[in-house]
Amino acid sequence: MEAHNRDLYLYKRLNARVVGVSMDDPVTNKHFAKSLDLQFPLISNVLPWMGMKYGAFSHTPPFRPDGTPSWFGRRTVIIDQNSIVRFIKDGSPDNQEILLFLLKLEKEFRGKK
Amino acid sequence: MEMRKRYFSLLGTLFGLPVLMALLGGCATMEPKKPPAMVPTDRGTVVYLEKYEFKRPPEGWALMRNVEGGDFELGFMKIEKGDFPTQTTFMYDEFPYGSSQDLDKRADYYCTKFLFNSGIEAKVTRREKATVTGREALVLEMGGENPVQKEKAKSIISLVKKGNRIVSFVCTQWRPLNGTFSEEPFGHFEAFLQSFRFLTKDFYEQLEEEMTKAGL
Repeated sequence: MEAHNRDLYLYKRLNARVVGVSMDDPVTNKHFAKSLDLQFPLISNVLPWMGMKYGAFSHTPPFRPDGTPSWFGRRTVIIDQNSIVRFIKDGSPDNQEILLFLLKLEKEFRGKK
Repeated sequence: MEMRKRYFSLLGTLFGLPVLMALLGGCATMEPKKPPAMVPTDRGTVVYLEKYEFKRPPEGWALMRNVEGGDFELGFMKIEKGDFPTQTTFMYDEFPYGSSQDLDKRADYYCTKFLFNSGIEAKVTRREKATVTGREALVLEMGGENPVQKEKAKSIISLVKKGNRIVSFVCTQWRPLNGTFSEEPFGHFEAFLQSFRFLTKDFYEQLEEEMTKAGL
């Protein structure tokens, strides 16, 4: 999260916006954002339909049989200007890889104009 | 019949071994020799992976290098004489805590995170503007104690403006609570810092150039 925050000025130049999604409630997200001084929005998705839609859950249901939540896996998704998912990667995000991909996307988009 | 089988299998092993050794030997000779991480220059410095030049500390200091996704780019460490944790580390870190591009704001945030996980109640004892590697910088001196773990630490941190980003050079000395801090390791850090030069453009500098070329 801190790495995305650090690279926000580059994302802006690349016409990209960052949104974080977590299963935490809005108050917890607010404290988390404040503790890291995050300058981008965090979406609170307690019933994790977004995580399911974007495959962060894969085959795991949102709640286990005993009722405890089954947390998100960590996944980075890049959606282009036509709402098409162009990049998916699990685990800790590699910001350099993401920035290079965004540069490629922006060049591609400008080439089509 | 059983004896014959053993005989053949033994023969197979005996003939097979030299062939295997020859193959492995061939592999060993074909592998390109890795260049050393630090190459000495005639200026009394070393060049590290063709990226940085600096004066390395004397024998006894171990090189710490980032193998994969670590918090720092490179550094040195020395376990000194005395009870645990008598040691000093110093390093160059491309991603110091925080995200602000403003030196003062970054320093304010940095001080809330640095040494936090060690349980040291760190206080800033010096904070002044400086020039490091020819760039605008802010030097912080921090230190404190953890009475529970009976440890104390003293750090000198240089937050340096590098293009649109901020990088850092950090030296931290650890001592048991009844130990005495030593100035000598800080001297080696100072020599490292004063001689440090960036020899190539980093990823972000190259990316920003590429973005400017693309009209972004």
